[in-house]
Amino acid sequence: MHRSLLLASFVLLVVAGLAFWQQSHALAPLAITPSLTGQTEYCLTCHADLPEISPSHPVETFGCVLCHGGEPLALDANLAHSSMRGEANPSDLTVVEASCGGEMCHSGSALADRDHIQRVTSSLQATYAGAIAQMRYTFGAQPDLTAHQGIYAIDGLSAFDPSAETSPMLQQFGSNCLTCHLSAQPMTGEAYNRWTGCAACHSTAPASDSSLVHSLTTSIDYTQCNACHNQGNYSLADMQFHARTDEPSDRLHAYYQPIAQFTQCEYTLACTDCHTRQEVMGDGQIYNNEKEAEYVQCQTCHGTPDSLPLTHTISSEDELALRMAFLNPVIDLQMGDTILVTDKGEPLWNIRVMPGENGGLPSYELFSKPNGERFTFNPVMGSACQQDPTQQASNTCHECHSVER
Amino acid sequence: MRPSFYDHLHPPTIPAAQARLRYSLAAGGLAVFMTLVAGVTGILLTFYYLPTPDQAAKSVQQLAFLVPFGWLVRNLHYWSAQLLVLAAALHLLRVVFTGAYKAPRRLNYLLGLGLLVTCILMDFTGYALRWDEGVHWALVAGTNLVRSIPVVGGGLYFAVVGGSQVGASTLIRFYAWHLFGLTLVLLILLVWHIFRVRRDGGIALPPPQARGDTSRITRKELARREGLAMLWAGIVLLGLAILVPAPLAPAIQSGAALPLESRAPWFFLWVQQLLRLGDPFVYGVLAPLGALLLLALVPYITPQRLSVDELGRWFPRGGRNMQVMVAALSAAIVLLSLLGLAH
Repeated sequence: MHRSLLLASFVLLVVAGLAFWQQSHALAPLAITPSLTGQTEYCLTCHADLPEISPSHPVETFGCVLCHGGEPLALDANLAHSSMRGEANPSDLTVVEASCGGEMCHSGSALADRDHIQRVTSSLQATYAGAIAQMRYTFGAQPDLTAHQGIYAIDGLSAFDPSAETSPMLQQFGSNCLTCHLSAQPMTGEAYNRWTGCAACHSTAPASDSSLVHSLTTSIDYTQCNACHNQGNYSLADMQFHARTDEPSDRLHAYYQPIAQFTQCEYTLACTDCHTRQEVMGDGQIYNNEKEAEYVQCQTCHGTPDSLPLTHTISSEDELALRMAFLNPVIDLQMGDTILVTDKGEPLWNIRVMPGENGGLPSYELFSKPNGERFTFNPVMGSACQQDPTQQASNTCHECHSVER
Repeated sequence: MRPSFYDHLHPPTIPAAQARLRYSLAAGGLAVFMTLVAGVTGILLTFYYLPTPDQAAKSVQQLAFLVPFGWLVRNLHYWSAQLLVLAAALHLLRVVFTGAYKAPRRLNYLLGLGLLVTCILMDFTGYALRWDEGVHWALVAGTNLVRSIPVVGGGLYFAVVGGSQVGASTLIRFYAWHLFGLTLVLLILLVWHIFRVRRDGGIALPPPQARGDTSRITRKELARREGLAMLWAGIVLLGLAILVPAPLAPAIQSGAALPLESRAPWFFLWVQQLLRLGDPFVYGVLAPLGALLLLALVPYITPQRLSVDELGRWFPRGGRNMQVMVAALSAAIVLLSLLGLAH
C-alpha cells in the first residue's frame, strides 16, 4: 500500500512537471495598445513581422482589431481569427462599413470628401448596374436602359437575381459574366488576381505563395486596373468571357480594346492620372452606363483651340488636393500652386500649371501617380490644331491623334 | 470527546466489503474530490473573471492565454466539473443497481439526487459564464424553455434572465447563482449527504449475520485508500487539463443576432434532441422533469420487494424492476445524447 501511494505521488509529480513545461513553453505574448481603441491586443505575438499596412494607418494608432476584427486576446490562431471581418480582407464590401467606415474614417461627410464607402458602394464598379441594365434591356426584361438593379440592393437599386430572370441568356449572364465587380471573387489565373472591395485597387494582389500581403496605397498603377480591364471580352453571342490569348510584352500591347482608338497618353500615363476618384470610385450617383460616369476628356487637361483647361489656385491648407499630395507624395504641391480641375471641380492635383514666359501661354507638368515620373504638355490653344471648337469630345481628337498598334 | 467530522466519516474500523472498489466504484468519493477541486479552482478564477457582457469572454481569454497557469486553473475547473457530473451520475447508477436506496437511506437518496441536479445547474451556469458565441445559442434556448412553462413561465423567465431578453442582467444573475446561490445549496446538500452516509450505517450492506465477509479495515487503511484514489483521480484530471483545453469561442458582440442552432453542452444534448421532437414545454421541460420524478420515486415504488439481506451486491433480484426502469432511462438519455451529437 505504501508503495502504491508512492508510485501515484510520483506520477502526479511528473504530470505536474508537464504543466510547468507547458507553461514555460507558452508563446511570449507581445502586446500593443493602439491609441484609437485603448484596448490591448496581442496579434503581434505572431504577426510582428508584417509590414505596416500604410503610413496612414500606423499600427501604434490603429492596432489590428479595429480594421480586421478578431479576438484581441486569444493566442490560439483558430480562435483569434474566428471572428475576423472578411477573413483576410476586411475591405470586402460586405463588411467594409464595419472595417473601414465610421465618420472619423472612410464613411464620413461628403463635404470633407470622406464618404468613400457611400460612393464606392453606389459606383458602377461595385453595383454593375450599367451592365445589368444593358443586358436586361437587350433580352427584354426591362423596357429602358435605366439602371434598376445592381449586384446588391442599395438605395435606388434592387438586387439583380439571375434565377428570377426568364431569359436563359440573362441566367447565363448571371452565372458567367458577373466576375469583375468589386464583390466578385476574381477568375482563376494570375492575370485576374486581385482582392475584393477597396483592396481590389488599393492593395497589391494576394501573393501566389500565400504569404501575407499587407499593404494599402493610393499610388495605383495600371497593372492594378488590368486585373479586371483589358483581359478579354464578355461575348454576347455565347454569354461567356473570352480571355485574350496574346501575351503582351509592353504597356502599349497590354492596352487592349478591339477596335479601340487611343492616344499616346492613354498607354503612357497611369489610368489613375486621368480617371479621377469620382469616375473610378463613384460620386454617389447611380449611373446607367460607363459613358455617363466617365467625364474626363482630352480637353479636361488640354483645353480647346479657343480655351485653356480649368485651373484652381490652392488657397487653404485643408484642400483635398493637398491631402491627396500628402498621401501620395509624387508632387511637392504647395499653397499658392495652380493645378488643373475638372468640369465638376475635382482637383487634378498631380498636374500643375507652369506659367508661360512673358505672359505667353502656360504649359503643364504632370507627375504620374504610381511613380512620380514627370511629363510636360502644352495646351491645344496656340497649336496647329484645326478642330472645330464645337466638336471637342475625345473621339474627335482620336481622328488625328490615335496610335496605330 | 465528541468525534470530529473526519472521525465521523472515518470510524475506527469499517467492514472491508464497504470499501471494496468493485462494489462502490469509489464514485461518491470521486464526486466529492471533484467538487473540492472545482471549488478551489473556482475561487482562483474569481480573481480574474469579470461578469459583464463586454469583459466576460475577454477575461476568460486573458486567463486562458495570458495569465501564467491561468489556462491550467481554468482547464482544471472545467474538467473537474465535467468529471463531477459523470462521477455523480455513476454514483447514482451504483446506488440504484445495488439497491442501496432502500430505507433507511431513502432521504439520503433524495439528497444525492438533489446534488446531481445542483451539479448540472452549476455546470450549465458555469458554461454560460463564458459568454461567447459557443454558449450563445444554448443560453438563449435554455432560458426560453423557462418561458414555455404555462402560467408561471413569464415570471420565472424574468427572474432567471432579469429582463425581456438575455443581457447584462442575465450574466450577473448566472454569476451570482454560480458563485453563491447554487454553491450554497451544493454545500448544504453535500455536507448533509456525507453526514447521512455514516448515520445510515455507512455504505449499504446486509445485516451482520447475513454477511459472508466479516473482515474489517482500519480508519488509517480507509484514509490510505481514499488518498490513493484521489492521487489517481488527480493524475487523470491534471492530464486532461494539460492535454485538452476547455472550449473557447469568439466573444458575443453586443447586439449580435441570435446564432444558428449550435450544439448544447454535452450534459444537455439529450434535452436538445428531445426538443427536436416538438413542443418545447412538453419535450424540453415536462420530459426531463418526468425523468427526474421517476428517479426520485425509485425508493418508494415496491420497496417491500427488496430484502435487506440482498444488499451489498450488484443487481439484487428484489430491485429488478427499478434496475430495469433506470437502465432504460439511462439508455434513452445516452441514445438521445448520441443522436444529438450526430445531428
